[in-house]
Amino acid sequence: MMIRIRFHGRGGHGIKTASRIAGTAASMEGFNVQDFPLYGAERRGAPLTAYTRISDGTIFERGIISSPDIVIIADDSLIEDPMADPLNGADTNTIIIINTNRPHDISEGLAARGRVFLIDATEISMSVIGKGSAISAAMGAAACRVTGLINKATVEKAVVKELTSIGISSEEIIRKNVEVAGTCFDSLPSFEIITRAETSQLLTKTIVLPYEAPAISTPNVIASGNIIERKTGKWRTFRPVINYDKCNHCWICFVWCPDGVISLDDKEFPHIDYDHCKGCLICYEECPIKAITVERESSSNEQ
Amino acid sequence: MAKELITGNVAAAWGVRLANVDYVPAFPITPQTEIIETLSQWFDDGIMNGKFVTMDSEHSMVTAAGAASATGARVFTATSSQGLLYALEVLYTIAGWRVPLVMVNVSRALASPITLEPDHNDILSARDSGFLQIHTETCQEVMDSVLMAYRIAEDNKVLLPFLINMDGYYLSFTREPVEIPSREKVKEFLPPYNPTHAFFHASTPMSQGVAVLGGPTYSYFKYQMHMASQNAIEVHNTAADDFNLIFGRKYGVIEEYRMDDADYVIVMSNTFATKGKTAVDRFRDKGIKVGLLRLRLVRPFPGKEITAALKHRKGVAVIDQNISVGSGGIFYNEIASSLYNETKRPVMLSFIGGLGGKDISFIEFQKVLNDTIMASETGIVPATQLLYTESEWQQMKKLLEIAGKTRQ
Amino acid sequence: MESDTKYKRLKDLSREEFILPGTTVCGGCGGLEALRLFHKVLGKNVVFVNAAGCFTLLALFPYSPFRGSWLYTNMASAPAGAQGVRDALDILIASGRLKPEDDMKVVVLAGDGSTYDMALSSTSGAIFRDLDFYYFCYDNEAYGNTGMQMSSASPYGSMTTTSKPAHLSTAGTRSHKKDIFEIWRAHKPPYIATISPRHPVDLSEKVSRSMQYKGPKLFIAFSPCPTGWMYDPSLTVKIARLAVDTGIWALKEAINGEVKHTYIPSKFKPVEEYLMTQGRFNHLFYPVRQDKILEDIREDINSYWEQYKK
Ligand SMILES: Cc1ncc(C[n+]2csc(CCOP(=O)(O)OP(=O)(O)O)c2C)c(N)n1
Ligand code: SF4
Ligand code: SF4
Ligand code: SF4
Repeated sequence: MMIRIRFHGRGGHGIKTASRIAGTAASMEGFNVQDFPLYGAERRGAPLTAYTRISDGTIFERGIISSPDIVIIADDSLIEDPMADPLNGADTNTIIIINTNRPHDISEGLAARGRVFLIDATEISMSVIGKGSAISAAMGAAACRVTGLINKATVEKAVVKELTSIGISSEEIIRKNVEVAGTCFDSLPSFEIITRAETSQLLTKTIVLPYEAPAISTPNVIASGNIIERKTGKWRTFRPVINYDKCNHCWICFVWCPDGVISLDDKEFPHIDYDHCKGCLICYEECPIKAITVERESSSNEQ
Repeated sequence: MAKELITGNVAAAWGVRLANVDYVPAFPITPQTEIIETLSQWFDDGIMNGKFVTMDSEHSMVTAAGAASATGARVFTATSSQGLLYALEVLYTIAGWRVPLVMVNVSRALASPITLEPDHNDILSARDSGFLQIHTETCQEVMDSVLMAYRIAEDNKVLLPFLINMDGYYLSFTREPVEIPSREKVKEFLPPYNPTHAFFHASTPMSQGVAVLGGPTYSYFKYQMHMASQNAIEVHNTAADDFNLIFGRKYGVIEEYRMDDADYVIVMSNTFATKGKTAVDRFRDKGIKVGLLRLRLVRPFPGKEITAALKHRKGVAVIDQNISVGSGGIFYNEIASSLYNETKRPVMLSFIGGLGGKDISFIEFQKVLNDTIMASETGIVPATQLLYTESEWQQMKKLLEIAGKTRQ
Repeated sequence: MESDTKYKRLKDLSREEFILPGTTVCGGCGGLEALRLFHKVLGKNVVFVNAAGCFTLLALFPYSPFRGSWLYTNMASAPAGAQGVRDALDILIASGRLKPEDDMKVVVLAGDGSTYDMALSSTSGAIFRDLDFYYFCYDNEAYGNTGMQMSSASPYGSMTTTSKPAHLSTAGTRSHKKDIFEIWRAHKPPYIATISPRHPVDLSEKVSRSMQYKGPKLFIAFSPCPTGWMYDPSLTVKIARLAVDTGIWALKEAINGEVKHTYIPSKFKPVEEYLMTQGRFNHLFYPVRQDKILEDIREDINSYWEQYKK
């Protein structure tokens, strides 16, 4: 028996911790475990993945999981993010847990991709802690629950252990995280996992790499500024919105946007390039007359 | 053409001067210093155009060299031993930039214990970096190899940096007659450098040495370097033909000395190969069919050429003037793996000799040959052996005593 | 010596962008904000020589955010890379192989770990050789790219991942931030400045002023780092302002060695206001307030400003 869990989140969600909570809990239950995070170049806000394998035998696998039994998605905006591609390799047996506050938009169309279950962990965290900061505990607990192999008490112990190990010392914060974990655990059913052999993609074949002239094969980039093709707009959980009735075109938001995604038009009114705005909200914080407001991202304001 | 009596260091400098090098960042280390002193003088005298600059370390020196080459200049630099290791991180970095600069390494054994005389652990530490390597035997070859190195490195089929190795003292400070060609002749051989793959011009912005993420991208760029390096064998041979036409001296990727009918071959590199050739002559006088193979182009490693030269022999002895501590001779292992898939192949013996510049006397060559003949007859091949004589051992024991080391 | 000021107000800043969005650096990165403003003054024709650090990943194959040119170097040797590029450009222009209009300003781009620690030798060498270049250090006060380990720019009392507050070391970082400004000044370059993204006019004016000097022109940019300093990214500019207003970050320049403060708050705010905004100083206040350490920090600030009072 081997259960392969893949966690998707953004830098700052703590999905490495989530994968470790699942790993620690399974280990406490006596299983063999392997967990690891994969960091890219990306920082806070950018997609990243972590993996946990749980087995009753020796684990003869390493690295990324391409055919997951369980996919945990810490933020629904990842679903459409091509860099994250969280549903890749999932099939109809895969259990997919999505943290979302917009169940209607999400559930449509996803059913075919696996056994989808939605949970608003951010809301649960908000109601217990007042912030959406207990995502790692919530996602770790969700993963444990759906395996059907791990007790709630064990999950709670694992949350305490992992949060302590990343330097959280406040007993109150840990207690609240345990509470969030417990609530998430209880809100999900346990599934029967239909495990399979890890199948690597067999759709390709090996090739002999051709030699290419140095004008091609030198690791440099000649297309200057082409990074604009990468859309960092998906990083946002909140979006800044300019109220043009109020704005007095003072330039402040334009000057202080670190990523330079605010431009000024002829009349010096600022315009936000939502394809790239990372949602740091410096503009919101700095606008002297509060002409910028904040909205939580949802698919409805995506047009 | 008249020959000048010059040292290996000055011969290297002459190669640089004749190649019309634009830029020389430098940092001193014995026994390389004479190269940079000579070049500095020539820049100051206006004999060379461009710039000589003393850097704050070899790490900085190789960075500046690579960056200048990435900008579009023809660049030279030189170091030795500790300096090469201090810059090692940067060697890999700039090889990845695909910049065709030339660097001379004057071999000197590595600390600790710190010493001044040569062996080849310094240069061989760079063997996996992407730099091409030629190891030289004479002062003439040093100068010629610098010119050939620019020609090969700048070839569009290659575009990788080049290291030329010469032994400290045995070449660096040794004077020999060297034929110095005219600039006109050199121009025929070596066209100016006008890069189209890597340069900095305001009108064509370029980001160089860009980070990659993911194995497939990294593998692509790394393996392209490997293929480019392998192309250098063919490019070397064309350059060597042209060189021969223009200057009348012919170099191969390996040098075969009295090998035509040889049953036994001793493999060596750099200046100690001269000692090996003398030994070969003496064995030949006695009627033993012995030859010497000198490794010249070391990166790319000419495995095919070496295999062709060795596979039908009875016995091969590799004298490594280097040691991979815990493994043995570096060249022995590389040559053995080249020969491995041959159905008919010689016995191969491994000797470590000349570490820290230790002499290899005729007695030791005799031992090498005897063991090789014996092994080829019995099929029993001894493990790696250090060449060391009884008198050296007696002397060593005395030194240990003076150092206060007592034995029970 | 006073040249006429070019930047008097926000609206004097260029509206053109030279670093395009889409990069992988964190949302709210103070270093990127400072660099963007810095670049606006220099214009498009630059070649950055970038030491390994967070900003190495600004360019990430097959993408580049730069409208100008860029070169990656090892962490210890970006100034040496600048030397090579500058010298080669000069050589190619002098020999007629490069058109003078293809020339570029050469700019070292490096974090504090590189600047204060590993590249000190190569920086010293470049200044000593009077290299005509710009040096832009984004000072996020730790080794950021590797996950905020302590560097010699980490301030006393801050928490980093290798100087965590602990039983035997309640301050977190026990050492005091290295004074790189004075180390640079001892080398006698024509121009050195500290800058802050919260003071864009001051920043732009300094860069613009420096451009008249040939030789090393060095900038240390205060670079709030939401990820490493543990605060909400929206507070980057606020934190930068508090750093100046509490006197912990002095805005100054040294032209030919002469130090001048370009902005001195009329009354310093209590430094706690700055410290309390960031998780890395949390241990100075919770679970118990560490008055001794706070007093040390205040003392450091006071003694700094004392030397400039006549
Ligand atoms: C020789 C060497 N040692 C260590 C590293 C690992 N390393 C990469 S980035 C980095 C941190 C650099 O810190 P800093 O200069 O402050 O820049 P930041 O990461 O904060 O942007 C380190 C230590 C390296 N690249 N090279
Ligand atoms: S800061 Fe506010 S008022 Fe000023 S330009 Fe931006 S939106 Fe308008
Ligand atoms: S939130 Fe505002 S300041 Fe931040 S990236 Fe978006 S537009 Fe720029
Ligand atoms: S870690 Fe800090 S300095 Fe580095 S990119 Fe993120 S915010 Fe910027």
